[in-house]
Amino acid sequence: MAYKTVVVEDDPQMLDEIVSVLRRSTDFEVSSTYKRVNNALGQAGMFHPNLFFIDIENEEMLNAIPAFVDIFPGAFLLGMMEQWDPLIARRAMEGGATGCIIKPFTAKDVGEYLQIYTVRGQHKPARLISFFSPKGRAGRTTLAAILALLIAEKTGERVALIDADLQFGDLPIFFDVEPKRTVVDATQDIKLLTPVSFAPYFYKIKENVFLLSSPERPEYAELVAPEALVEVVMMAENIFRYVIVDLPAGFNPMSLNVCRISDTVFITTMINSGFEVNHAKKTMEMFDSQADGRRRVHTVFTRVNPFTEEQRQKIADQLGYPVDVMIPNEYRMISMANSGRLASGLPMDTLLMKTISDMADKVIAAGR
Amino acid sequence: MAIATSTGIERSSVIISVFSTTPGIGKTIIAINLAAGLAKEGYRVCLADLDLQFGDVLNYLKLTSVNTVAGAQRALLDHPDKFHVRDFLISYSHEDVTFAILPAPLYIYDAYQTDVDLVTKIIGDLSYFDYVVIDLNSMFSALNLAMLDISTVINYVGVIDFLPALKNYKIGYDTLIRFDYAESKIRLVENRADSQKLIEGRDVERLLGEPFYHRLPNDYPSVNKSINSGQPLMFAAPDSRLTKSFAELAARYTNRAQEEPDAEIPMESGGFFNGIKKFFGF
Repeated sequence: MAYKTVVVEDDPQMLDEIVSVLRRSTDFEVSSTYKRVNNALGQAGMFHPNLFFIDIENEEMLNAIPAFVDIFPGAFLLGMMEQWDPLIARRAMEGGATGCIIKPFTAKDVGEYLQIYTVRGQHKPARLISFFSPKGRAGRTTLAAILALLIAEKTGERVALIDADLQFGDLPIFFDVEPKRTVVDATQDIKLLTPVSFAPYFYKIKENVFLLSSPERPEYAELVAPEALVEVVMMAENIFRYVIVDLPAGFNPMSLNVCRISDTVFITTMINSGFEVNHAKKTMEMFDSQADGRRRVHTVFTRVNPFTEEQRQKIADQLGYPVDVMIPNEYRMISMANSGRLASGLPMDTLLMKTISDMADKVIAAGR
Repeated sequence: MAIATSTGIERSSVIISVFSTTPGIGKTIIAINLAAGLAKEGYRVCLADLDLQFGDVLNYLKLTSVNTVAGAQRALLDHPDKFHVRDFLISYSHEDVTFAILPAPLYIYDAYQTDVDLVTKIIGDLSYFDYVVIDLNSMFSALNLAMLDISTVINYVGVIDFLPALKNYKIGYDTLIRFDYAESKIRLVENRADSQKLIEGRDVERLLGEPFYHRLPNDYPSVNKSINSGQPLMFAAPDSRLTKSFAELAARYTNRAQEEPDAEIPMESGGFFNGIKKFFGF
């Protein structure tokens, strides 16, 4: 069945070009075209369309996306841009678009975009979850990896793990993989990439879980501009319904920039000498001073022992903030991560897995 | 300012940086006990906490201070002519052991404002000490590379209990070599050497192609006692094997003529830092 297609585009020349491309393919039946958004909203219903191309570089059309979603539920809505703009793409997704596409395009391109946006999961903005730790060695990477596996399993939606710990990222070793392309390549190429050409930079770990690896040499980190990393993460949002970023320890341009665009930040701290709680406190105060009202910052403490509510209160008193997540110790997990077996099956019967599973449920619930 | 020797020739202090590529493996404990050990032998020692955002030197010694490297930097900027680094040090003292400390900034904001050139100048001004021990964090940041450049020796610490930690130890070592730090300047120090683990020290030496310069045994209870009492191990756990091992490490760093003829030869510092500093960190 050919898509019953509507094109909403105010540039007559571009409109002609798009329509002639679509007409040459048997996959599309061009039902109608509009240069003005209110005509499209009012009239397109006559044709029962199930695929829209909307020029979202036009502010009025971008703002009308929620109205299209409302009037044509279930139809695919592709926002068109001549140049990939991560902020416009994000706004289109927030409005309920299926995704965005670079114009002009071929019929084959459209098929590839639709394929990516279909397997991604619900047509909703991505959840961007960052794992921050003040000093490192906090269990941050283990937690990020397990959370990614569990969210993918629970939702059936696509999850990206981005290893932004550029100098000493451990995710490849946790999964025992050696991806050819890394986050460094992605940041260098990002200006030329589209969601379709970017998707192969991710290495499939497991059903619906994909890794963008850290580079193999620490000095390659110098090649990454924080702004480029932000664009990489934001483009990943178009391919994945959940984007989980493992950050380098401490406050630095990389961690600050990614936290700035995240909707959820987990401040991860491992209890050891006790002074880690002070570091977490300093960290929370920094985030508080930059609060934007949208981003949620959660405190996570790992290796909490004894694993009791009294202990939670004790930590909270020293911290001056609530303890949102407590994770118990589990030595078996260390040996699994150690041998690269993290993806091959998790010990679900343990208290550790139960707490991370609860954490995953909360993350998922917050996005619905 | 430098030390005038008996022959009247000025010489600068020995700078020992304590560095690792994995966080949380005992760098601060090593830095504190190295400083205490050198001080115990009668040397004038300053311990600089350059884990700027989350330094633990003061925490582990139960000290508080308003003097910090951030204050020193401000003073150096505002009144360079009147600046003296001693105004920003505090002193640790117990029984016959005394050493100076240059504390890390109290606030992350101050840590973030730190300028590599100014900190390098401040550390350079500590040259009236016999030894300057620098506690770094676990990254190849601009600051850390600048400190490694000016260090006499790099006390490169690893704990080999976890595969990612081993990977990072190896990568870090290879990187230091690629950055042209002389192999003789890098001292491989294994911490928690005899703890139960899957990876043998021998295998690590084979992997790195270099023997460990020193191995510190695992003694978690003593380290705990040290942190809880705010005292170096020589006071908190005088009979521990770890304490003894630290005394040996300090002796190796002082008894230079006998044990390490290399250390007397001025080392060429790595020149990598200047070329890449605008990229790494801040």
